Amino acid sequence: MSRTKKLVLAAALAAAALGIYVLEAQIPAPLPIPGVKLGLANIITLTAMALLGRKLSAATLALRLLLGSMFAGGFSALLYSVAGGAAAYAVMAGLIGLFPEKRLWVISALAAIAHNAAQLVCAVLVTGTAGLFWYAPALLISAILTGAFTGIAATFLLRGLKKI
Amino acid sequence: MKTDRKTKNWILLFLLLLCLGALGVFCARSLSAPAVTARVSVDGECVKVIDLRAVTLPYEFEVSSELGRNLVRVEHGCIAVIESDCPEQICVRQGFVQESGIPIVCLPHRLVIELEDGE
Repeated sequence: MSRTKKLVLAAALAAAALGIYVLEAQIPAPLPIPGVKLGLANIITLTAMALLGRKLSAATLALRLLLGSMFAGGFSALLYSVAGGAAAYAVMAGLIGLFPEKRLWVISALAAIAHNAAQLVCAVLVTGTAGLFWYAPALLISAILTGAFTGIAATFLLRGLKKI
Repeated sequence: MKTDRKTKNWILLFLLLLCLGALGVFCARSLSAPAVTARVSVDGECVKVIDLRAVTLPYEFEVSSELGRNLVRVEHGCIAVIESDCPEQICVRQGFVQESGIPIVCLPHRLVIELEDGE
């Protein structure tokens, strides 16, 4: 893929991720458990990683986090978004070369676990309450289910995008 | 759908993790006991400690900071956030809690209500 095409794709993916993120933010949380959400914007992060490599997908993610906090969520939530996003990104970047396209959902599920774990640690540090770790099992279940789902979605998106 | 051996192994691994998670939730539920004390903290600092057994008449108090406002209702043996100006209302939806273990939390307002069972 040419450099120009990569940049255009990165920008388009960032816009898509932002749109998905803002849209999902309008849906009220399904369960009264902090941190349980679909995380659909991560479909884009993983797709960008597979298609464009680590650097450009990092830029796409950073853009989405920054603009996302401006359009929905607020700056106070930015701390949690960055912590979760960075953890998820690290797992994706580390594992991306090791799994075939059909098993991207594994990377996604593991990244989701890392994402929720990082956000939980942040919450414990911010509130100074270790008791929040009681939420860990629920967050683990949520991460695996939503992560696997977004990973499968990313596989389909990738197949579609590779035809462009 | 053709699933090869590697995919099957990963599916098994995640099913195992899911079971562990379910076990964790179960443990959290069964390890909890009727709450004796409620400790209300904002931004890491304890602002109120309530002896839930000593409560005769229900009362409400407000927790306010520049982050936002929560209205807490205390009844005999239980406590709840009944009003909040946070966007997601997770704290309000958690309702009345009467057992120790899982705290009530309003993350945007950095409010945590921990329940202890005195053991």
